[in-house]
Amino acid sequence: MDLGWLVSTVSRALAFGVPLLWGTLGEIYAERSGVVNLGVEGMMILGAYAGFAVAQTVGVPALGLLAAAVVGAAAALWHAFLTVTLRANQYVSGLALTLFGLGLAGLLGRGWEGKPLRVPLGAITVPGLAEIPVLGPMLFVDQTILTYLGVLLAVILWVVLFRTRWGVVIRSVGESPATADSLGINVTLVRYLCVALGGLLAGVGGGYLSVAYRPSWTEGMTAGMGWIVIALTIFASWDPLRAIWGAFFFGALYHLSFRLQAYVSPELLKLMPYAFAILVLAVSGFGGARWRRRAPGSLGIPYVRGER
Amino acid sequence: MNVRKLWLLVAALVMGGLLAMGADKIKAGFIYVGPIGDYGWTHAHDVARRIVDEQYDWLETVYIESVPEGEVETYIDQLVRQGCNVIFTTSFGFIDGTFAAAQRYPNVIFAHASGFKRAPNMATYMADFYQVYYLNGLMAGALTKTGKIGYVGAFPIPELKRHISAFTIGVREVNPTAEVHVRWIYEWYNPAAAKEATEALIAEGCDVFAFTEDSPTVIQVAAERGLASFAHYSPMYAFAPDYVVSGQLVHWEVIYDDFLVKVHEGVYTNKNLTHVDYWWLLAQKAAELGAEIGMPVNPQYVAPLQGYVIDHPTFGRISVYDLVFVRYNQMADPGITFDPFEGPVYDRKGNLVVPAGMWMSYDHLITMEWAADGVVGPWPGEP
Repeated sequence: MDLGWLVSTVSRALAFGVPLLWGTLGEIYAERSGVVNLGVEGMMILGAYAGFAVAQTVGVPALGLLAAAVVGAAAALWHAFLTVTLRANQYVSGLALTLFGLGLAGLLGRGWEGKPLRVPLGAITVPGLAEIPVLGPMLFVDQTILTYLGVLLAVILWVVLFRTRWGVVIRSVGESPATADSLGINVTLVRYLCVALGGLLAGVGGGYLSVAYRPSWTEGMTAGMGWIVIALTIFASWDPLRAIWGAFFFGALYHLSFRLQAYVSPELLKLMPYAFAILVLAVSGFGGARWRRRAPGSLGIPYVRGER
Repeated sequence: MNVRKLWLLVAALVMGGLLAMGADKIKAGFIYVGPIGDYGWTHAHDVARRIVDEQYDWLETVYIESVPEGEVETYIDQLVRQGCNVIFTTSFGFIDGTFAAAQRYPNVIFAHASGFKRAPNMATYMADFYQVYYLNGLMAGALTKTGKIGYVGAFPIPELKRHISAFTIGVREVNPTAEVHVRWIYEWYNPAAAKEATEALIAEGCDVFAFTEDSPTVIQVAAERGLASFAHYSPMYAFAPDYVVSGQLVHWEVIYDDFLVKVHEGVYTNKNLTHVDYWWLLAQKAAELGAEIGMPVNPQYVAPLQGYVIDHPTFGRISVYDLVFVRYNQMADPGITFDPFEGPVYDRKGNLVVPAGMWMSYDHLITMEWAADGVVGPWPGEP
């Protein structure tokens, strides 16, 4: 493998990994507070539609991404209302959100397909850094601002989660909401905020797809990315920094599954990224107590004061 | 009111309803495999449905989209209950479900796109592009500078192998050393996969692109790098007006129109469809050359194509632009005088697959697995 291979693989891994990274960071926060949200796919597609519709109407891609964030957060609040306030089953509500999002975006998107976005979010060249041999073309050209913001965000979210009081609050709500409650923490508020943040970031991930990655709208364009996000959340063991590696590693596998077709059976390669996801889930299941201990203790369990 | 009177009332209402509908009304149901917003295969069928629906007073149409291939029978049941007397199923994978339903509902007329199973009340139909892909190949061969042309394919099935081989035969006719590099995405519709497959081909040095999958992704990605491409299926010129050279456009409405009118006139009934198989191409106007209706070649690419002059074994010195239209006329004329797979044709392993002077039979065309000389890349199922 010469350097050209390495450069293009890393560069594509970053570009493809962006929506996965944003989505995974969001899901990590939601799950850290104890709420599983299987609605990532639905929030992403709503974000993709809203992002495209606004960017196309206004002509400003940044506003499209803002709209994607707002819509993603709004969709997540619905999930929060059902699961935190009404204590509905989190898995059922999340699945419903995915189906609802795909359906609604498809309906609203009628008439928007077949039109390229007027002003897409363009790739940037990082001044100075782009000149570095090998590393420059690998990391600092052909990426949108969302690649770098995503990595920065991951670092910030890691610091907040593990080095601040807020992080302790979020993690304690996810581990043992009864204990947190008895310490005077507003469990409902924390869960609402974390789930909303999750939707916001998933919305941006979806908006990236329709505003930057492939600047146009087509129904169902997220094509299962939301589910990869769910797997990556577990792979990252609910750690924002590991999400960076997870998302970009998956991106590299995905790109290589096309790149290597000249040498390896395409059917096998097609399976590779997903086989990896299954492997991760299997390892996390069998890998026993250590991995399971990393999962938030009350994940998936609605909190009712006074019940255990 | 006793039960018996109630039954009589219901029967009278039903009879009245049937009479009011008129014996010659047609209610046609369409079952789609994808969403109508895919801007590809399903979108094209739906555009055609709307065209025929507006054309005739005696015709009413309904559709169901995104039907999983294994569940088609349930949806056929639903359409029959809604009163459809003609049902179109528009994906190859609907083949067995449609065939079974045709046995179950002998009074309903079925037509299945892209398949080969027929029954007295089940016809098949297909608008195919291999001729147009060949014409696109002529242009692609003239435009490549690196000698490598990228092709993103959905699935390695005979339909796509036919497209890619016809395209490659066109490429090689004007540029005997150029290669067509192929990547498969194993999905009809997955923009992210199509994008990464295109990026992989760009990384390998391809500079002109064609594809068979259901989104305009390949065009957009190529245009971002300033590379030329060919559209597939729907009018995609607007996605990159400076970079889309030409492409293929489908006109399913000519088939739907012909079929439904013949059903309406009583030519086609639920008893005589066993041999009704539409295989419509350029000559029947089911396929059109271009990325925009009425524009066979992007005006920006006319000059470069006119400037690429070759010594052709049949036509002598000729520009590729002129060659495209000579070949087009040979195939669009009702008395077709040329076929891209005119022998001798060798596959990439050196086997003679079409003997000199022969054309491929229809059966060979719809089952072909070999790759034409010049195709590079994986070819699952290669003989």
